[in-house]
Amino acid sequence: MAGKAEKLEYAWIALVVVMLTIFLGILGYAVIGEGYSAPEDAVTCNVKKLEEQITPGVKEVAPGVYEVDIVARMWAWQPNEIVLENPKKVIFRITSADVQHGFEIVGTNVNFMVFPGYIAEITWYPPSDAEGEFLIVCNEYCGLGHQNMYGKLIIIRS
Amino acid sequence: MASEGGARFAFEDKISRAALVFAFLMLAVGGLFGITQLLARTPYAPQFISAKTYYTILTGHGVFLAIVWTAFFIVAFSNYVITRELGVNLSRTLLGFGALLAIVGSLIAGLAILSGKAAVLYTFYAPLKAHPAFYLGAAILIIGTWLIGAAYFKAYLQWKKANPSKEIPLGTMGILATWIVWFEATPPLAFMVLKDLVPMALWGKSVDVLETRTYFWYFGHPLVYFWIIPAVTYWYHILPKLAGGRVFSRTMAKVAFILFILASTPVGVHHQFVDPGISNIAKFVHTVFTFIVATPSLLTAFNVLATLEIAGRMRGGKGFLGWLKTLPWREPAFSAGVLAFIIFGFGGISGVVNASYIVNYIVHNTVWVVGHFHLTVGTAATLTFMGASYLMIPALFGRSIYSQALARAQPFVWFIGMSIFSFSLHTAGLLGVPRRTYNVMYAGNAPDAWIPLLLAAALGGIVFASSGAVFVFNALASILAGPRINPHPKPNLAELVDDEEVGPAGALDRLSIWLLLALALIVFAYAIPFYEIYSTGLSLVPPVTPEGLRLTG
Repeated sequence: MAGKAEKLEYAWIALVVVMLTIFLGILGYAVIGEGYSAPEDAVTCNVKKLEEQITPGVKEVAPGVYEVDIVARMWAWQPNEIVLENPKKVIFRITSADVQHGFEIVGTNVNFMVFPGYIAEITWYPPSDAEGEFLIVCNEYCGLGHQNMYGKLIIIRS
Repeated sequence: MASEGGARFAFEDKISRAALVFAFLMLAVGGLFGITQLLARTPYAPQFISAKTYYTILTGHGVFLAIVWTAFFIVAFSNYVITRELGVNLSRTLLGFGALLAIVGSLIAGLAILSGKAAVLYTFYAPLKAHPAFYLGAAILIIGTWLIGAAYFKAYLQWKKANPSKEIPLGTMGILATWIVWFEATPPLAFMVLKDLVPMALWGKSVDVLETRTYFWYFGHPLVYFWIIPAVTYWYHILPKLAGGRVFSRTMAKVAFILFILASTPVGVHHQFVDPGISNIAKFVHTVFTFIVATPSLLTAFNVLATLEIAGRMRGGKGFLGWLKTLPWREPAFSAGVLAFIIFGFGGISGVVNASYIVNYIVHNTVWVVGHFHLTVGTAATLTFMGASYLMIPALFGRSIYSQALARAQPFVWFIGMSIFSFSLHTAGLLGVPRRTYNVMYAGNAPDAWIPLLLAAALGGIVFASSGAVFVFNALASILAGPRINPHPKPNLAELVDDEEVGPAGALDRLSIWLLLALALIVFAYAIPFYEIYSTGLSLVPPVTPEGLRLTG
């Protein structure tokens, strides 16, 4: 019994190592091979002079390529409604004027932290079938009005 | 050493009794806050508390349960295992003074929360500002735990001097691993709280968000192992004997403890995968370490299952799964431990998802995470501690459990309720429901698909909260009015704790070497994010209260 059980145990250890290695391999491939990235780019900014560094709004810089600048405040996103027509690539530049917030577009994989003192830059490639209204929420606790902090993303396809 | 040791360890047991009662009271208050805030955020439920009350009790739920209940239970459990297994007294000064500081610190921070002046949640992310008493109380609590932890290492060194060639007994090994991880985790947090957050709260010092977050999560993940390692110790050391067997692989159990010591801490950035300002490289390094720290959990899964199967077969169980039936499920100290262990498996699975850093942005800050940690700290640790309490109350108070029938049912009810709760929240998280939010209906703008899942979560929550209420009632009733027992009944904790298989010391017992290696891994893993943060230059921002007030001096 003991001999057999020990063999099973070694087989289990081998399985664990192989399994975790495969998982890590897939993650590594997704990043290096497929170009997926966790949010990483950020520049520091002066929270007292935000308007000199970021202008909230939506700009189409090339067909289907948008730059969306957002300022998070207790308790609203500015702008609170984002309209994109046939977006292929969206570059979000986001910062906060006060505390930490979390920018999440429900139903997509857009979900990252928003920090005062840092302007984050995140590129999103919306799937070609993404269309209609999406709820934008703040998913990091940001004070007593946190639950009131939401907005809307509208994607129009033509 | 299997003696009761009641007289010899009178002082230690007194501290354990105080810690246990304090832990149960915190469990009661924290649990009440938990179910209240859950119902408040459930769709269709009347909003019977204000947003401010919601965030206040959510802060209390996190702090009272995740920090105070766990820490005080662990102190009582550690006291018992170390004294009975090593047969050594603990330093009265360290233990007594440490316990005093820990209780005073908890009360100060707790009162700051209850007064409504610290609605910053248990992560207290800067620059949200709480009352200074919240941070000072937390710091005093941590300093108290250092003194208590020091008492265990002092006792261990004393034992080692007298027994230079013996291996470390298994229970003690688990307890020492627990406290080594605590000593890895807490000093940098205390440093940051005293350097940044106390001055921020006192006179409005500006702080850097990324820096303070990284210090917090440096602490935040090893904290998880501070909860889990005592539970694993219980599964390795107490459960097998309750089932009438022995641990399948002692060596593998010790390897698991060493891996926890090595890899519990250099993983904190996996809570910061969606933080802008930290590179993919740092995130990938912490992913790798997180997968390494998953290994001891997976080893534990095999080892404990094998242990149970062998015990079940020794008890006459036959067939592929027949051994399950013969296990002592009517013994709550056993069933609670095993059910917690099963839940731990599922917690591990969702944990690996969390750790997969580009998958993480699907679930970050959603109720998926809430579903996850209610499996780990909320069940793997908490339900195990409840099971252990059914042994510790008789051992420490000399009274048996007030209602055996309630104790027998309680772990199963918890298991069922938690399964419903956690499954619903994991699924709701995949649909994007944010955590920590007073009302997630967003004035009717939320997707309809969220609603049934949140209702199911509320149902599961009611079920396991009622199990929790029954536990607290039964525990306190046992302490106050349980039948007095003499001689000691079976199962007897002192006999269960005693390690009868101590062999000669080996490489796995050389804790100082493993500790040095652990420190090297921490330095390596944290050099990267801290280099990035400090080389970019800090970006200081002034504090703001949860009400939105700026009070910059």
